[in-house]
Amino acid sequence: MPSSADETKHSLENNPSEQAGIALEGVCKGNLPAIQKIAINVFLAFHMLAVACWCVPMDSPLIPLCRNLVRPYFLWSGLFQSWDMFAPIPKAVNTYIEAVVVYEDGSRKTWTLPRMEQLGLTERYFRERYRKFAENLQGDENDALLPDAARYIARLNTSSAKPVKTVILIQNYSFIVPGRDGPYVPEAWERHILLGYAVQPEDLR
Amino acid sequence: MTLRSVFRAWNEFFFAEQSPTPIALFRILYGVLVIATLTLLRPDWLTWYGVHGWVSFPTAISLEPGTRLNLFSVIPQNDTWIEALFWISLAPAILLTIGFLTRLNSVLVFICLTSIQHRNPYITHGGDTFLRLAGFFLIFAPAGAALSVDRLIRIRRRKEPATLQPRSPWAQRMIQLQLALLYFVAFLLKAKGVPWVQGTALFYVYHLDELKRFPLPFWFLRPMVLKLGSWSALVLEFSLGVLVWVKEFRYILLTLGLLFHLWLEYSLNIPLFQWDILSAYVLFIDSDDLRRAGNWMARGMDAHFLRR
Repeated sequence: MPSSADETKHSLENNPSEQAGIALEGVCKGNLPAIQKIAINVFLAFHMLAVACWCVPMDSPLIPLCRNLVRPYFLWSGLFQSWDMFAPIPKAVNTYIEAVVVYEDGSRKTWTLPRMEQLGLTERYFRERYRKFAENLQGDENDALLPDAARYIARLNTSSAKPVKTVILIQNYSFIVPGRDGPYVPEAWERHILLGYAVQPEDLR
Repeated sequence: MTLRSVFRAWNEFFFAEQSPTPIALFRILYGVLVIATLTLLRPDWLTWYGVHGWVSFPTAISLEPGTRLNLFSVIPQNDTWIEALFWISLAPAILLTIGFLTRLNSVLVFICLTSIQHRNPYITHGGDTFLRLAGFFLIFAPAGAALSVDRLIRIRRRKEPATLQPRSPWAQRMIQLQLALLYFVAFLLKAKGVPWVQGTALFYVYHLDELKRFPLPFWFLRPMVLKLGSWSALVLEFSLGVLVWVKEFRYILLTLGLLFHLWLEYSLNIPLFQWDILSAYVLFIDSDDLRRAGNWMARGMDAHFLRR
C-alpha cells in the first residue's frame, strides 16, 4: 500500500503544473530567493527598530526623531503600543463617575456609571470596558470625551414627557493611603465636577 | 564576535526551518481569543461603537487624528452597518481558528480588529493591543501549515504530504519578540517608579476597588508580602523579556509566567488580558515538546475513555 508521501510524489509526476507549484512553495519555504530574503530582512529590521523606538523609554534625542518618522505608519497600521500597566506609578486613588441629571421641570436624579465593585462576577466580565472608559474620561488629555458622555447620559435618562435640561458629570475620589499600623482604612470620598453640560434638543434625538 | 557570526545568528534565528505546529496552535488560541473578545463586547457593540454611542465618530477622529486603517470610515454611519461589521468580523475569526483560507482570514481579522480599536480606543486594554500587534505578524506566518482545514484540503488534493513540512519562522519570531518587548518595557517603566523600587506598588494595586475580583488570602496583604510581590513582578518581567531567550531558563520562566498570570487572573478584574498574553507562550515551546505533550494528553484521554 503506497504511503501518502508516495501518493503525492505519484500525483506530482503526472501533473507538471502542480510540480511547478510545489517547487515554488519549496523555494519560498526553505531556500528563499535572494530578493525575497532581502525584502523580509528589511521588513524585520525596520519593524524591530521602529517598535523598539516607539515603546522603549530611552532618553536619546534620536528617539523622538524616530517616533515622528514612523508615527504615520504606526498610527495607520495599528502598530502603536504602550506597556505602562501600573507604571511608573500605580493609580493611588479609587474613583467613580456619577452624573446629576437635571430635568426641565426642575427635578433631578443621580445616575452612576457602572462600577465594577458593585457588579457580579459574570457581569464584570462583560462590562469591564466601563472601568477602562471611566479611567479615560478622567484623564485631562481626554476632556473632549466629556460632552459626548454627557449627551449619552442625557439620552439614557430622557423621555418626551420629561426631557433632560442639564447633565453634570462628577468625579468621586478617595485616596489610597497606606496606614502606619493596623488594617487599611479607606479615606473619605471627595467630589470634583468634570463638566456641566446644557443639553440641546438635537442631543436627545 | 564577527560580523559574519552575527549574520549567521540572525539567519539561524529568523530563517532556520522549524515545525509550524507552535504557530498553528497560536493561531487557534488567537482566534478563540478574538471570538471571546467580540462575544464579551456583544451586548454593547452599539453602546461603544454605534452612531449614538458613548463616543461619537467625529469625536474619536478629532482626538485621534491621522489616517488610520478603519473600516468605520468607509461604511455608512448607521447602526445596521455597524452591527453588520461586527458580525462580519466574527466570521473570519471563526474561519481563522479552524484554519480555513487562513492567510485571507488572518488579514481580515487584523483589519477588523484594528478598525474596532481605532473607532474607540478608550475602552481597550493591553490585551487588546497585544492581539492587534500579534495579528499583524500572524498575517505573514505559515499559520495554516498545521492543524488546519487548509492542510487537510491540501493533503486530500495531494498537494502536500501527510508529514508536516518545516517552515521559516520569521513571523513567529516577531510575535515572540513583541511579547518579550512587552515584558521588558513594562519592567523599564516600573523600574522608573518609586513605589515599585520601594516595594509599595502592589499595596495600591490591590486596594483599587474596581480591579478586585476574588478575595485575597489575609497574609497576601501584609506589607512584607506586598513588598516581595512588587519586587518579584519586576524580576519576572525583566526575565520574561530578556532571559526567556536563554534555552536553559525558558521553561522555568514560562512556568513562573504562567503562575504569575493565573494569579493576576484570580486577583484582578481585567478580563481576557492574561489569556491574550499567555496565548503567545506556546510560541516559545519546542515543537517536539508540544508533540510529546499532545501524545501524553491523547494517551490520557484514551485511557480515560477506555476505562469507561
